[in-house]
Amino acid sequence: MRKYVYKRPEVFTDAITTYCGGCGHGIVNKLMAELIDEMGLQENGILVWPIGCSCLSDRYYDMDAYMALHGRAPAAATGIKRADPSKCVIVYQGDGDLVSEGMAEIMHAGIRGEKFTVIFINNAIYGMTGAQMAPTTLLGQTATTAPAPLGRIVDNSGYPVKMAEILAELPGVIYSERVTVNSPQRIIACKKALKKAIQLQLDGKGMSFVEVLSPCPTGWKMAPTKALDWIDDEMTKVYPLGVIKDASKEAE
Amino acid sequence: MKKELLFSGIGGQGVITLGETLCDAAIKAGYNVTFVPFYGQEKRGGRTMCNIVVSDGVESPIISEADIMLIFDERSLRDYQSLMSEGGTMILNSDLVELEPETACKDIRRIPFSTMAQEVGNSKTANVIALGYIAKFLPMIPYDLIAAEVERSFAAKPKLIPLNLKALKTGYDYTDR
Amino acid sequence: MGKKEFLQGNQAMAESAIRAGCKLYFGYPITPSSEVPEYYAKAMIERPEEGITFIQAETEVSAFNMVAGAVATGHRAMTATSGPGFSLGQEAVSYMSAGDLPGVIVEVMRPGPGDGEILASQGDYFQAVKGGGHGDYQTLVLAPYSVQELCELMQESFELAEKYRNPVILLSDATLAKMRESVELPGYVEQKDPASKPNALRGCGKNEPHKVVTCGDGPVQWEEFNARLQAKYKRIAENEVRYATYNLEDAEIILVAFGSMARVCESAMKMAREKGLKVGMIRPISLWPFPDKAFEGITGKKFLVCELNAGQMVQDVKLAVENKRDVYFYGKLGGTTPSPKNVLAEIEKLGGESK
Repeated sequence: MRKYVYKRPEVFTDAITTYCGGCGHGIVNKLMAELIDEMGLQENGILVWPIGCSCLSDRYYDMDAYMALHGRAPAAATGIKRADPSKCVIVYQGDGDLVSEGMAEIMHAGIRGEKFTVIFINNAIYGMTGAQMAPTTLLGQTATTAPAPLGRIVDNSGYPVKMAEILAELPGVIYSERVTVNSPQRIIACKKALKKAIQLQLDGKGMSFVEVLSPCPTGWKMAPTKALDWIDDEMTKVYPLGVIKDASKEAE
Repeated sequence: MKKELLFSGIGGQGVITLGETLCDAAIKAGYNVTFVPFYGQEKRGGRTMCNIVVSDGVESPIISEADIMLIFDERSLRDYQSLMSEGGTMILNSDLVELEPETACKDIRRIPFSTMAQEVGNSKTANVIALGYIAKFLPMIPYDLIAAEVERSFAAKPKLIPLNLKALKTGYDYTDR
Repeated sequence: MGKKEFLQGNQAMAESAIRAGCKLYFGYPITPSSEVPEYYAKAMIERPEEGITFIQAETEVSAFNMVAGAVATGHRAMTATSGPGFSLGQEAVSYMSAGDLPGVIVEVMRPGPGDGEILASQGDYFQAVKGGGHGDYQTLVLAPYSVQELCELMQESFELAEKYRNPVILLSDATLAKMRESVELPGYVEQKDPASKPNALRGCGKNEPHKVVTCGDGPVQWEEFNARLQAKYKRIAENEVRYATYNLEDAEIILVAFGSMARVCESAMKMAREKGLKVGMIRPISLWPFPDKAFEGITGKKFLVCELNAGQMVQDVKLAVENKRDVYFYGKLGGTTPSPKNVLAEIEKLGGESK
């Protein structure tokens, strides 16, 4: 008798992801797939994808999906969830999508307390379009639109945006946590956060938000292992990990 | 039969309300009616004007020439006097309009609606008095139907019904020549 | 025969939409369309048994995208807006056309450009008809000319949107929106189960997933994607041409107008006839597809195109008559609508001209 200790999540299609080596998207995509299987979301779930590196992600899942316009995923998800509140709607966005192009959409979805789950991939760079500066790019971090030797300068581009903290200020957002995926323990913690966020949606609470600090070795021009260290050494100093808000008890 | 009407004044004078009440009565009298309001961008004190067409058939809601024009302020007179029909009736609230109209229209009536409203007992009834006055020029819309619409429009404030019916009658009975 | 009511265009139209089964409204208030969101907001509170959802969106960008998301589930949804808001929504119109999403948009035209004015205009003809957003797409554009037609075409917009799985734009204007006239409200339309509609997002279980994707997958695939869209537009163009003609038999001058301007022109035509002038009218009701066929076989006539803009539909009229015949234009900008008498004067000028 063969005993399975690990298998590919069933919701995954046979497609091979197009992410670069060492990229965090693939890890989070897989955690989502595991949770879809474990929580039985295939039956009643709808994934809303963004523009960015993950804009091909719909083809990795045998799931109903909506590939939104740049930044508009929370607006489209509002339409979907309001049309049929019985669906489990998971919105997945990168930093260009959520923080820049779609700042109004995510803020107002939070203000209205839309009852869906948002997974936010923060890799402090525009990966897909070739390493341009993101609103989450760190001060001094170089990008093709914030070139060396200065990198991002305050006078020009202001400060990195801390979305998990900003959204936590909104009463309509009941859960906000920042996690990362640069070690096995933290990947497990990330999955736990995602599971909690999705469960809160299934329980009919307000918006749940998980920000994932995600390595982008290609955009950062680093070896994948160095990228993992850079999250610890630089990113977490600006974007501290942890539960920023958990109002799920009060929302009873 | 086709009558084209234009009522114009400043927001708050009740010119639009008077137009709507007249339309409701004209509908009850069995006519085709269109009512098009025009507002300025200001919420208070801006211009308000309406085009009303009462006809047997389907007509343009935008009027060519006013058979009856009611003017409650001088800017309205300047803006719309060119739309006055030569054979129609121009009615000016003489308490608010001193300007001499530039129009070929022969029949210009200067009526002190605001003063009359004070005499009736409430300065806000000037528009209802004007409605009563206009009713005389539109015999195809029976006075009783107009009175019923005035009553209906105050259904939420029944205390004001007698006052407004009195105002309507005052306008209707007013003889200026 | 139902009861006639004396109703405002915007409100009668909103009621017709509810009765067409559109229970989801997403919008941002803008004059002269604001009575529509107000009507839905009130209906949501006062008619709980109808299950109406109204969301005041933060921007028209969001409102249009909310409509796109909602109709992706098979439910009927709409928004209403005016010029500046319509501009903001264009990316989502392009998206809905590409994504086979049956969103319904009411555009209550007011004069632009820029912030503009709030009275009647037809200056957004190009934007609605030629595609104000990016890429090669088309939307069905319907132009009513009375409150009654506004209500009927409102309901039909939902049917057509779902029939072709393409957005439909109901092109109103400030006069139609704000005017009151007698109308017999259309009745309630029987609804299909949203989940039974093609590709409705609903959760797929172990079945084939439903996906709304408008993202390219290489030039060859994208060419195929576009070819499929073009075939859709061709089907619409072949089947959904609508127009009305008046007195064409003996007409020497043919007015061409749509929307509230057509209403004015109809009266002008009557006045001209009373004077013995042989005037007829073509009134396009579908602006896209444009009713070219209404002009087929008409020879030796003068066309007077009347619009509340600097001359937009007149270009389509010239294409329809292949630039061969006399096409004249009369237009007004700024919010003033010409009166029947003004149009008559234009007709008389034209009638006096030697050929």
